[in-house]
Amino acid sequence: ADAMPRQKVEIDNKIAMERIRATIALDPSLPWTETLTVTYPETINVDVEDDLNRELAFYKQALHSAQTARSFAQKANFPFTRPADYFAEMVKSDSHMERIRQRLLDESAGMKRAE
Amino acid sequence: IDQDHGPVMKKPRNKQRVLMLSSRGINHRMRHLMNDLEALLPHVKKDSKLDSKNHLHLLPELADLNNCNNTLYFEARRHEDLYMWAAKTPNGPSIKLHVQNIHTMDELKMTGNCLKGSRGILSFDKAFDESEWGKLTKEVFTHIFGVPPQARKAKPFIDHVLTFSILDSKIWFRNFQIIEKDPLQPNGPPQMSLTEIGPRFVLTPIRIFEGAFSGATVYSNPEFVTPAAVRSALKREKGDKYGNRKH
Repeated sequence: ADAMPRQKVEIDNKIAMERIRATIALDPSLPWTETLTVTYPETINVDVEDDLNRELAFYKQALHSAQTARSFAQKANFPFTRPADYFAEMVKSDSHMERIRQRLLDESAGMKRAE
Repeated sequence: IDQDHGPVMKKPRNKQRVLMLSSRGINHRMRHLMNDLEALLPHVKKDSKLDSKNHLHLLPELADLNNCNNTLYFEARRHEDLYMWAAKTPNGPSIKLHVQNIHTMDELKMTGNCLKGSRGILSFDKAFDESEWGKLTKEVFTHIFGVPPQARKAKPFIDHVLTFSILDSKIWFRNFQIIEKDPLQPNGPPQMSLTEIGPRFVLTPIRIFEGAFSGATVYSNPEFVTPAAVRSALKREKGDKYGNRKH
């Protein structure tokens, strides 16, 4: 690792970045429903090589944010939950979801056989 | 009584449109990642590949022609390295990042699904607010990855959450489906859970420029090592091993 070349000049112009951010910042009076952005009140402190705990930390962040967002939506009287009778095109097609289901079935069958 | 006589106050709106395009030389995985983002972000307008990597200054004009105020440009190098430029056009800033560990929605391991065009929740962890580059990146990503309510194909319900997390000086991206009912207990208390939809990728910030694909550098990441340098260091290490054995 000591053979890795390092970039020599570090630039971190905080004043310029703050000024630039002010020029593009969204109107602070925008209702939350315009952006749906949530900040997770924690930082992610896990061993980056530990796949299981790393993904668990991301999951916890996502779950916390989804729950926070749902309560924000309720307060704003903003529709959140999809009604059971609402159907529309999904990002993954039915045939793709069928392949996922088949793979899960194959996997559980394989595990049963191994037992 | 109708009190609304004065000039109508215009409701503030979050108006965002994103031009997305790539350079030549992207491989299938990179192309699939772009297709995934296009499926998830209905305010994205995809354009054909940019002819030359040396003409990035054309991008702000191209975005303007497409009525876009953001540009997401994917630049492939050596058919294996991918860089992402996230820019506010036409006035900047632009953030250049290195994209790694790409997993697309095609992978069967990720079992979640969501409506095409539904607006995702954007989740940023606290670390974004602890540095100026983090705050600026959060602002730009909010514009680019947040689907505005009036996007043409947006759906009126919320069924997924996009997370951005800083770990190991990198930005990790995940996308989860929100499941509000326990499928094993459909009549029980609503217990929220998630399943991953994809895609997945990791971004290493490299530089932030003041302008749109131009201008002064206001941030450079001292920890960034180019992927080519990593590969040549690995090769050199292997070569050294052979040399040491020989002598």
